[in-house]
This record gives sequence, C-alpha cells and structure tokens, in this order.
Amino acid sequence: MTLAASDLRKSYGQTRAVDGVSVVLRPGMVHAIVGENGAGKSTTLRMLAGAEPPDSGVMTLDEASYAPPSVVGAAALGVSLVYQEITINRSLTVAENIFIDRLRQFAGPLGFIDRRRMEAAARAILERIGAQISISADTGRLNLGELKCIEIARALSTNPKILLLDESTAYLDHREVQAVLRVISELKGQGMTVAFVSHHLDEVLAVADELTILKDGQYVGTYRTTEIEPNEIHRRMVGRELARSIYPPRPPGVPSKPVVFEACEVAVGRELGGVSLNVRAGEILGLAGLKGAGAEALFAAICGDLPLRGGSMTLAGSSYAPSSPTSAWGQGVAYLPGDRHNEGLIADFSILDNLVMARPPHHGPFFDRAAATAIAGDLIAQIGIKTQSVDSSCRSLSGGNLQKVVIGKCLAVQPRLLLLNNPTRGVDIGARTEIYRIVRQKAAQGLAVILSSEDMPELIGMSDRLLVLRQGQITHRIETAADATEHDIIGHMA
Amino acid sequence: METNVTSIATKTPNATGEPGVNASRFEFVKRGFPLAMLVLLIVTFSIASPRFLTFSNFLIVLQQGTVLLVAALGMTFVIMAGSIDLSVGSIVALAALATALTADSLGAAAIIPAIAVGAAAGLVNGVLLAKGKVPSFIATMGAMVVYRGIVLLFTRGAPVSIEDEQFLNVYTNRTLGIPHSVIIGLVLMVVAYGIINRTVFGREVRAIGGGERVAILTGIQVARVKIYMYVLLGALCGIAGLLQGARAMAATAQLGEGLELDVIAAVVVGGTPLTGGVGSVVGTMLGVLIITLLSNGMNMAGVDPYLQNIVKGTVLVCAVFVTIDRRKIGIIK
Repeated sequence: MTLAASDLRKSYGQTRAVDGVSVVLRPGMVHAIVGENGAGKSTTLRMLAGAEPPDSGVMTLDEASYAPPSVVGAAALGVSLVYQEITINRSLTVAENIFIDRLRQFAGPLGFIDRRRMEAAARAILERIGAQISISADTGRLNLGELKCIEIARALSTNPKILLLDESTAYLDHREVQAVLRVISELKGQGMTVAFVSHHLDEVLAVADELTILKDGQYVGTYRTTEIEPNEIHRRMVGRELARSIYPPRPPGVPSKPVVFEACEVAVGRELGGVSLNVRAGEILGLAGLKGAGAEALFAAICGDLPLRGGSMTLAGSSYAPSSPTSAWGQGVAYLPGDRHNEGLIADFSILDNLVMARPPHHGPFFDRAAATAIAGDLIAQIGIKTQSVDSSCRSLSGGNLQKVVIGKCLAVQPRLLLLNNPTRGVDIGARTEIYRIVRQKAAQGLAVILSSEDMPELIGMSDRLLVLRQGQITHRIETAADATEHDIIGHMA
Repeated sequence: METNVTSIATKTPNATGEPGVNASRFEFVKRGFPLAMLVLLIVTFSIASPRFLTFSNFLIVLQQGTVLLVAALGMTFVIMAGSIDLSVGSIVALAALATALTADSLGAAAIIPAIAVGAAAGLVNGVLLAKGKVPSFIATMGAMVVYRGIVLLFTRGAPVSIEDEQFLNVYTNRTLGIPHSVIIGLVLMVVAYGIINRTVFGREVRAIGGGERVAILTGIQVARVKIYMYVLLGALCGIAGLLQGARAMAATAQLGEGLELDVIAAVVVGGTPLTGGVGSVVGTMLGVLIITLLSNGMNMAGVDPYLQNIVKGTVLVCAVFVTIDRRKIGIIK
C-alpha cells in the first residue's frame, strides 16, 4: 500500500504547525521524518494516522481518497500509529496491554477472557518482531525499550500495512534504541512500510531508506539516505551552515586547578557500589553508562536526595555530607535533573519564578522582586532564553528554551559544582549549541561540571575526562575525552 | 488584582501552538467568575428581599463571614500547596474552649491561649504530614475526630460560658460602627495577602503545590514549609475560635461543626484549585462573601430552609465546573 499526502496544512490558533508538507510512503520502505523541535514532524505523522484532521491537503491510500476519522478508523484501513509517550499500563499483563482495546475478541461464551488464546496471539506478534520479551513478564519490571516493543506489538496486532512510529527513541537509552531499531529492520524485512519521526540522525541513517526533512512546519525535501551526508541533513534541518562543530573548543593546556569535588568509594542504594572520582575547577567530567548503571544514583547522593550507603565525599577540601537538597544547594552544588517536566521546573510558573526558585533574593522574610527581575533578566540574556518577558509562563516555551531555564535556575546560585543529567534530552540542535556554549563558558570561569548523558557524541564533544559506568562500578577511565571513540565507550558500558 | 498569583500564561501569546487567543479570553471569564457570581447574588437577593441591601444587614453578613474568612485565609495556604485540612472546625472548637476557660482570668489576653492551642493542633497536623508522611486528607480527618473528642471530653457536652466584661468588650464592641471582629478579619486578610504575595515563604508554598518534586530537588525545605503552613492555619483557626466564642459568649462541643466544608468551599469557589500551585487571598475573600451571602440572602428571602443545602451544594459544584483548569489537570479523579 502506498500512503501519499500532499500539501498538508495544520494550524493551532496563530501557530502554523504544518504548512504545506508532502510525503509519500512507498511499500516496503522505511521512511524517516526529521527536523528540529517544532518542525511539524509529529503533527504530520498524527495527521497520517488519523489522530488529527488536517486543515487542508489531500491524502490518498493506494490512490483512493483517505481521510480517517480517528486512529481507530485509520487502523481499520491498515495504518497504525505508535505514540511518542509510553502508554503501557503496568498493572496489566503483556498480552492484555497488546490487546487492550480489543479484549472482547478473546471472550468465551460466558464472557470470560480466554487467556491462553490471547497469550498465544500476543506471543505470535512478539515473535514476529523478534522482541525478546516473555509473555509472562511483569510489565512493572520491563525497561522503556521493551515497553516500546510492546507498543509496537499492539500497533501490529491490528494487522496494518503501514506502521507509523512517533519519536520512538527520544527517551530510550542506547541499548533500548538498538532493540527498537532491530524491530524496525525486522519489519522492513517482512515488507512492512514504516514511517518514523526521530531526533537522532544516526538511527535514521541506520535503518531508513528515505528521509523527509521538515523545517518550521515546511517541507524541505525527500532524499534517499544513501544520497545525503549527515552534515547536509543537519544543514537543511537548521537552515543555516552549522559551525564545524556544535561543541565549543576546549581551553588549551592541562587544567591543574584545585579539586572541587571528590568521591571516595561512594556507594548508594543498590545501584552504585563504591566509586571514586574527582572533578577539578574548570573541568567537565563525563559519565557514560546505561540507565541504572549508577550515574543517577551518584547524582542523587551528591545533591542530597539519597543518603550514602558507604564511602565519603569532599567539597572544596572539606567533608561533604548533604542531608537534603537544601543543604547541597546551600553549599554551592546545583543539580539539573534528567526529567525536565517533573523534576526540573514548574511549567505553570513564570520564567522568573523558576529562575530564582533555588535562591530567591530577599530582604528578611520579604521577596525582593526588583532584584529577582534583575537576576532573571541577566540570566535570560546570558543563556539566550527566547521570551518576551520574565513574567511569561514557561508553558509558552519550547523544550530547548525550557531546558535553558533549568540551566539558568542552576547558574542563578553561582554554584561551584554543577551536575547535569542528560541536559539536552529532547532539545533541538540550535538550543543544544547554546547550552554547550554556556556550560563551557562557565567551566572556563572555574565551575566544576559533572555531565551524565546517553548521547555519546555529546559526552565526547563536551567532556574533558570521561568515566564509563557499568552496574554501579567504573569500568573505564578516559583521561582525554577528545580522543575517545563511541565504539570504545559502548564496549565498556554493556 | 494580585500580582504573580495565578498562572501568568494568560498574559502572553502562546508560542507552542496551543490555542492562545481564545484560551486567554476564556481565562478572563474564569478569573472574573467569583466576582460575577457575587454581583449576581447581591442583585438577586436585593430584588427578593427589601431588607437585604441595607447597611445593618451588610454588617451582619460581615460578622457572620469573619470566622469563615479567618479560617479560610489559612486554608488558602494549605490548598495552594496541594494539601488539605479537614480538622479546622475542630481546631476552632478547641480554641474556643481554651478561650472560654481562660477568659475570666486573662481577659482580652485569652487570645494567647487561643492562638497557642490552634497553633499546637496545626503543628501536630503538619508534623504528621511532613515528617510522618501521612497523607493530609487522612491525617487531618483523624485529627478532626480527635480534636473534637478532646473538646467533648473536657466539656462533657455542656457549654462553657464566657462572662468576662473586658474580654467581651474588646472582641464584640464596635468602633465607628464597625464590629471589632470584622476589623480583626480585615487586618488578617491584609497580612495573609502580604505573606502570599510578598514573602519567600508564600512563594515556597506555591512552589510545593506547583511541583513538589521540583521544589525538593531545588533545595526548598519542603517539610519545614509544610509544618509552618499548618501552624499558620492552626493559629488563624485559634483566632477564628476566639471570635466565634466571643460572639456566642460560650464555647460548646458543637461549635464549628461542619465548618471545614464551608472553609474549603470558600477557598475553592474563590478560584484556588485543590490541585495547588495557585492561590488568591482576594479570591478567598470573594468565596467567603459568596458562601455567607448565599445563606444570609436565602434566609432573608425566605427560601425554604430544607431547600437551602441543595442550593449551596449546587453553587459549589457549578463554581468548580466553570473555574477548574482542565488543561493543566488532565485526568480528573
């Protein structure tokens, strides 16, 4: 089946999310849709899947007019969507999740569900995509990649001819991304048409046959992946010539500044089992590792959110044992959490409210609004937060801008140690570049930074030194991160 | 209106592609709703009863509303932080009892034990929630029963009368025709307004309601702020208990029964959502006036007393139906 769309348009209020996009999904091809945040990728996919009606434009399925009223309507015509968010209910079984909207079809004569028949059907689909998930697995214990595979299995359970995957790998770690990519290749081998939206160019080039680039809601072009270079894709996504590297240059010379933070045999919970490391003023220390390898636990301990099970820490030469995040921030340790929306900032609050949240300027008990406005204005200019006013709600900001606000919140306390947990997750390349610039600039002024990231090029590009964590232990130390290769790091991670 | 209290999203055009213009117009309707409802009630009751729109009835409404207002000011903080307190009616009774037991010896200074008892009761609630991690709904539901039980145990069901002249003079007399209780209520309102809008504490309470995990990880002393907030509510309930006792010239075991529902209703009708993160003292005052005027007006207009509860409940649900921001809450439970 060929799904073609031409000149699709969709506006939300004043904003034109999609403005004249055309795309053709040809049988048996894997088609990637790429672009920066806000380029209109997800909206395009959602219109193809019947989740939203286009304002105008024509869609055809095998040359017949195609205007699905809903996602269910599209599925009936053979077009199935996997949502960006994980929609697995963790209190149901794997099979129940796959057939969640069609449990009735397994009902026996008395209305009871025939579990064996349902589980056999579920097992068949999981085998088809080559997912190594047991039908009796506890959904509460599966990782995000496995949950994503179940979502794909659910989409396949309606026997679609065309599968649409929305930004499937945005929050998955390296190992989980690989699992999803394997499934896509497997489906491609079976002649399935797949379209997917992605931020990650590497995965696009790994599996896609064709790619369509969108920019600011507009159609840039469709290319065969064999015909276009990654740099060229970048350039067309951003619409301007990228500097040679998005990572700022490291300052010359070996840093011999004083050690700001030192951990000695630090153990935390079950995740982290005795690691020692230090970071100097002006240095960016990178932490590589899969989810659960220990970086999160280490950050939780340094920022006072979890107690140490063993070991000790020193900050600026004296013993450091924060009893709470309050104590950590008070001693100049700022933490940027990995989950921007639930841990990083309060989206309903204004930019100013978020920026000065950690250390509000005050006279006695009274909040000093004038000083806060000055601090916020200064941070907005320094970090390049794009907004009309300090009083704008964070809801009006894009993902990249939101992350800049969280960085601003950290820098507002003038920390001596900054902990960054995946600072550019879901952030477009323009905002990334600015975040890298400000972090490197602050480091050059003497800030010590620990950067944990699932993004390998980012770790290699930003870090001065790199540590690789696996199962709560440091498995590899790289003294000059600039010389590291992804292959080398991944080898010590898994 | 107050600065920075409600979501400021409405002032700025939305850049992310959400329906900006229409939403803000709708937002305006929502924010103006409590005031519109108050005006509607006044107009309706003025037509229904000639005695409604008189200065003497106005003073009666203010006096009736003061106890509710003082407790609701404290509740605004607690609800703004996303918590709840069901024990306010019982704390009011406890404080009224403390007042009645000490008024003879302390006179007007009986306000000290009233505040102390209220604050202590609030402290227990706050510690249960912040340190004991007992959900506030359950902790204060238990406290409601226990505090009321203490009052019953002390009084054995008999009222404790307040006869001290000096005490009654201070708390029930009028100056320039305005009852002292109303003056106290207005002063406390200004103080509460200042705390919410001008202090770091007020911002921290709001941040806890807006996103508690964010507040914790940003270094806000969440447990301490929660305890202070319950102590503040308890202290205000202490004053409310004193005023109620002074009006009735006695403390009874039934005093303040069911008050928690009116207090919560007043805060919510005033536009402070139970989901937290947002709160307005002016809104709470409007909510108190709406709740009080509704009872007063229905009595004046001779509405069947057996019908009144149905009207009150309907008004509460309608107010929430209009003002609740479903976009932010997502799933309503």
